[in-house]
Amino acid sequence: MRRNKFNIAVVIIFILIIGGAFYYVYPFESSINLGLDLRGGTQLILKATQAVSEDEDPEAVTSEAIDKAMLIILDRVDRLGIAEPLVTKDYSDNIVIQLPGVDDPDRAIEIIGKTAQLEFRVVEAFDAEEGTYELGPVLFTGDRLSRSSAGYDSTGSIVVFLSFTPEGARIFEEVTAQNIGRQLAIVLDGDVKSAPVIRNVISGGDAVIEGIGSLENARDIALVLETGALPVNLVIEETRTVGSTLGQDALNKGIYAGIIGFILIIIFMIAYYKGLGLVSIIGLLVYIFIFWGVISALGAALTLPGIAGIILTIGMAVDANIIIFERIREELRKGKTPYTALNAGFKNAMRTIIDANVTTLITAAALFRFGTGPVRGFAVTLGLGVVISMVTAILLVRAILYLLATNKKIMKPGFLGVKELER
Amino acid sequence: MRFKFSNYNYNFIGRRKIWYIISAAIILTGIIGFLVSGFNFGIDFLGGSLMEVEFKRELDIAELREVMADSGHPTAILQRTDARQYIIRTLPVNTQEKNEILDNLDEQIGINRPILQNRNVLPTFSRLITRLAMIAVAISIAGILIYVWIRFEVRFAVAAIFALIHDVLITLGFYALFNREINITTIAVILSLLGYSINDTIVVFDRVREDTRTIKNLTYEELVNNSVNKTLARSINTAITTLFPVIVLLIIGNQTLKDFAFGLTIGIVAGAYSSIFIASPILVMWNNRFPKYKR
Repeated sequence: MRRNKFNIAVVIIFILIIGGAFYYVYPFESSINLGLDLRGGTQLILKATQAVSEDEDPEAVTSEAIDKAMLIILDRVDRLGIAEPLVTKDYSDNIVIQLPGVDDPDRAIEIIGKTAQLEFRVVEAFDAEEGTYELGPVLFTGDRLSRSSAGYDSTGSIVVFLSFTPEGARIFEEVTAQNIGRQLAIVLDGDVKSAPVIRNVISGGDAVIEGIGSLENARDIALVLETGALPVNLVIEETRTVGSTLGQDALNKGIYAGIIGFILIIIFMIAYYKGLGLVSIIGLLVYIFIFWGVISALGAALTLPGIAGIILTIGMAVDANIIIFERIREELRKGKTPYTALNAGFKNAMRTIIDANVTTLITAAALFRFGTGPVRGFAVTLGLGVVISMVTAILLVRAILYLLATNKKIMKPGFLGVKELER
Repeated sequence: MRFKFSNYNYNFIGRRKIWYIISAAIILTGIIGFLVSGFNFGIDFLGGSLMEVEFKRELDIAELREVMADSGHPTAILQRTDARQYIIRTLPVNTQEKNEILDNLDEQIGINRPILQNRNVLPTFSRLITRLAMIAVAISIAGILIYVWIRFEVRFAVAAIFALIHDVLITLGFYALFNREINITTIAVILSLLGYSINDTIVVFDRVREDTRTIKNLTYEELVNNSVNKTLARSINTAITTLFPVIVLLIIGNQTLKDFAFGLTIGIVAGAYSSIFIASPILVMWNNRFPKYKR
């Protein structure tokens, strides 16, 4: 009877866990954080190729520079009005940007990748034939900007207005005072936007960038200047855009396949293992519910390969039950009573299940460590699935069967899925 | 109270040469398929651009090829995914080139915007993915080998690895034969089939290990054969239940899910087969070579 108390305790604990899972699972629609391949959106992977600043070794891209670039990118994406953007770094220091719901990422790509290095340099010489400038040293950079905005100047042409910080304004005043009569080039990302002649000292702390094509272009420049220059040059290694219709379609089909597959499993398990099969289905439903709760609590993104991973773990969860049931039947065959058969069956099956699942976990771990993007989602679901299904099978299914085993009316050959032998 | 059972007693181990020949024939067919057409690598491995576009009307692949050639991409790989939907693969393109292609398609045929999906992978990045994928597979196999070695004996580890290589070769062979695209999903497939196959093999081996301790009057060959028969019902039932959702996915899934299910179906069948017909006979062969148990 001590054993019975333990089993009742296990069932109660599982009921509490299910309650806890329900807290995370409800409301159903918003419980799962869908990956971009299911909800639609854009993912960019950028690699920092070299540092921008001249006095540093351009080859050495520091980890701090990448972190700073990530903050600036996040700021830019926020200002574009994209909801729930995610900027992260992967194992090889690539910057991964996720933009949910963005199905036309051209403008976002343009803005994210702009280095936005603004420089003011004196023009040493101008080659009128080639249209190229020979520029002096950098006198002043965009670091000292406080605000920038797009608009029209008094002549009606499109410009970007710049306001400097108080300190910036003072330095700008000095710079202009020293260079009266010379041309001051305004250079954005290596491109000379304009090179007006300095007629007198500019003291208000304001300037404008001219020579900009469209108002949208001017807005983009103002946005990137205000968020600051990126400390590194970025190359887009991968762009991945999934439209929301395609994602929704994939999600629906994955769910349908899961439900139909699950119904087939229910039919098979009950037809083959009868009462035992029924208990395993209860265990399986509990497994799926707890799994759902854990995914939801962790906020792990569910991706398309993740759905496939879940479907695979359902198969493996059933496997634990099948191993146990086959063992129980074998013990019955040796002539044991149902209760002792349960005992021996679970005892022998336990070691098998643990060994088999640990090896699968090793695979999931390798996949998580070295997988990229959606494959990682697959590793997470596979790993969680293996652990949760194992615990459910060797604790809950076992407890329920033991509790049922105390009742002789239930432990009939029909329930155990075997035929009685005539004496 | 006693119960009646159907008791399996097939001679699996004694006929091992037949199973080896069957496996070798399947693997060889796959290798021939590979030599004839090679692998159909996706942009994850080669780099390149992929667009899935829904057109305003139905069109055949020849017409689309002409339009693509017209916009300077005669070598684009085209794949029909639905009546009005195509996947178009080209070399890597920048935003401007992408928009030129799309504008041209819109002008000549008419497309719905935004397009269904679009991916662009630089070759440098795809090389990184390939390298990481290979590391993942290697580490995973090494980890399994070490675990099985510690928990069982070295012979079990060797036999399990042979079974794993067998399964991977067969699955990749089918990819070559059916000209299925090998992409990042395929890596997930290979890794989950490793997981499934080792799981399946361990259950049989666990039984062999147990029987070695408890049964004393049988030769090793009889003993292993006996263990395989005892776990046979489980091997078959687990393969069937795992295959249920996978096959449903193969029938109703979208392109990515179908790709995944295709590899898994083959991998699960190969994994279940190899535990019985490859891994277990190797145990016996090892014992014939390095006798430890009764021959």
